Amino acid sequence: MSTSIENVAASPKETGADEYYTFVEGVGNIPRDIYKLVKSDPLGDLPRYSVHIVIQHFVTFVTFLILAATGLTLHFASLWWAPLVMKLFGGTDMARVIHRVAAAFMVLASVYHLITIIGGTLHKIMTKKFNIKRTQIPLLKDAYDIVHDIKYFLGKEDQRPKMHKFMYKQKLHYVAILWGTFVLVSAGTSLLFPETMATIWPNPRFGQDLARLMHADEAIMAITVIVFWHWSNVHLVPGRFPLQWSFLTGKITREHQIEEHFLEYVYNLQEIPEEREYMKKILRENGYDTN
Amino acid sequence: MEFKRCVTRKTLFLVIFLLFSFMTSGVYAADKENCLMCHKYRQIGRIDEKGHKRSYFVSENIYANSVHRNVPCRDCHTYIDKLPHDPVTQEVNCANECHIKPPFSSENFSHRKIIDVYNKSVHGAQEDDSPTLRAAKPYCKYCHLNPIYTRVEEQRIAFEETLGRCLNCHERKGVTQAYKHITHRLRSKTSRSPQEIVQLCAKNCHADLVLMKKLKVSKESLEAVKTYNESIHGKAVGLGSQIAADCVSCHATSSIHDIYKKDEPHSTVNKANLVKTCKQCHENVTERFAQIDVHSEIGPHEKPVLYTVNVILGFAFYGSVFGLIGLAMLESYGRRKDGIKMQIIHGTSWRGHSKRDKSK
Repeated sequence: MSTSIENVAASPKETGADEYYTFVEGVGNIPRDIYKLVKSDPLGDLPRYSVHIVIQHFVTFVTFLILAATGLTLHFASLWWAPLVMKLFGGTDMARVIHRVAAAFMVLASVYHLITIIGGTLHKIMTKKFNIKRTQIPLLKDAYDIVHDIKYFLGKEDQRPKMHKFMYKQKLHYVAILWGTFVLVSAGTSLLFPETMATIWPNPRFGQDLARLMHADEAIMAITVIVFWHWSNVHLVPGRFPLQWSFLTGKITREHQIEEHFLEYVYNLQEIPEEREYMKKILRENGYDTN
Repeated sequence: MEFKRCVTRKTLFLVIFLLFSFMTSGVYAADKENCLMCHKYRQIGRIDEKGHKRSYFVSENIYANSVHRNVPCRDCHTYIDKLPHDPVTQEVNCANECHIKPPFSSENFSHRKIIDVYNKSVHGAQEDDSPTLRAAKPYCKYCHLNPIYTRVEEQRIAFEETLGRCLNCHERKGVTQAYKHITHRLRSKTSRSPQEIVQLCAKNCHADLVLMKKLKVSKESLEAVKTYNESIHGKAVGLGSQIAADCVSCHATSSIHDIYKKDEPHSTVNKANLVKTCKQCHENVTERFAQIDVHSEIGPHEKPVLYTVNVILGFAFYGSVFGLIGLAMLESYGRRKDGIKMQIIHGTSWRGHSKRDKSK
């Protein structure tokens, strides 16, 4: 099994990323825009996230909303709506406790995530199933993809680049979350335990000021990116409205997988016999050759 | 029958309630010399030289519930020595001794002691003060502006449970008052809420930048209200916190009135005393902890490194937000043109026709 995956992984490079047809063993030549012809279940057709990731996302998004609501209100304390939101949380002193409890749960989710990611990767390496192209690690190809994707959006290219399980958007977001969580957790720890952190910071006066600055600025950046970008991508852009069920089912729709994660779909064809049969059927129905 | 009984019971309750609501408290103020003979009349007063209406009415009921209820009128209004008295030109001096003996004390009560503490503080009038400064300095009633000196409302302590034991020996009225007088001072540093303290210090004085500049205060002092309101203490207090630090939490000891400039050795915010001051709330306070700024002003001159970091973060913020929103909008534009619809219906969202130029 592992040898066939390596072959497939190498195939797009050999055939060229901008080729219209992609040959897949046992299926045939698949045209790049086949996603316009397939049928999808809105709840998802193909595996994308394990149950661990679904749980981690759930805990993170619930705690994120609580942290944002309590933290933003405290940061913008002088605005007219701040006291009203504080009342909703049972007063300022209670809101501060809620913020800390939510933060503890978010840290737990982050630790859980690190354990699953590191453990899962080690397991894959040991069973020789590890493939760097199916991970969140940014590669040079992502820079190539973003340039060509923008060219497609502007109408200068006919097809979107063939991308892996995690395209440039997800990798950008993932790196931002890693950095943001690191900054927010370390700065937040400094705000919560100033006495202890004062003994650790080389210059406590500068360190505490930096922590105050970074915690607020980084949080506002995270909230803005989530609200305006993440929510656009998963709720508002065409084809994803009103929401994708991936966050609960862990599955991605077929048309989405082929459009934005074509190379992952090729792996899916290798791994799932039913999907091969389905694709052959679609190809035949639309007058393409199969084998 | 049932209905009738119900009505009678309700009427009975109503009658009892009305009876209670018309009951007077039955307390009497200390008026040995019968000043209320005249001052009990609601209309007593005059129009002064400036045309302001002045009322000389004293409500016995309100006075009898104030903290000064046991103090005879002339203990404070000492300048009155005959009846009918001359027009009043003097202010009441809070340092007067009154003919009240506190429990377990042989001396008459006076505010003298706290006034001495206050006079030594930065707010007390000094010999070398300029006339502007002297005029700007607060006096007792400037902060103690509870106009009728009513007692502090105590909603947060469990009276009945605690008082129950006192009542085994003591009379309810006396012991309740004594208990209230002491307990609200035991629980927190002041009987005022942090919000009241910040209001008192800021309003009309420390937030009045024109006045502060005229008095030539230091730069830190000039920005104190602004930087406090931006600090975590200030924000929490502004939103109603009862435990976050207010002005006097750090700037005075438990005698509240001993506020000094930070260079003075007995100032609570003097470098030598900071550890002790922070320890009131923070645990494990060290010299290093005391270095942390409470009123932190991040400007280009005070903290250039932090200021630069802040500016760079600002650029990163606008760059990423507008860049990413632009990308999402561009993506939507391009895919819409290629024929995608908003929602997956009948298994696909690619129900439209591509309007893209296929000739390329």
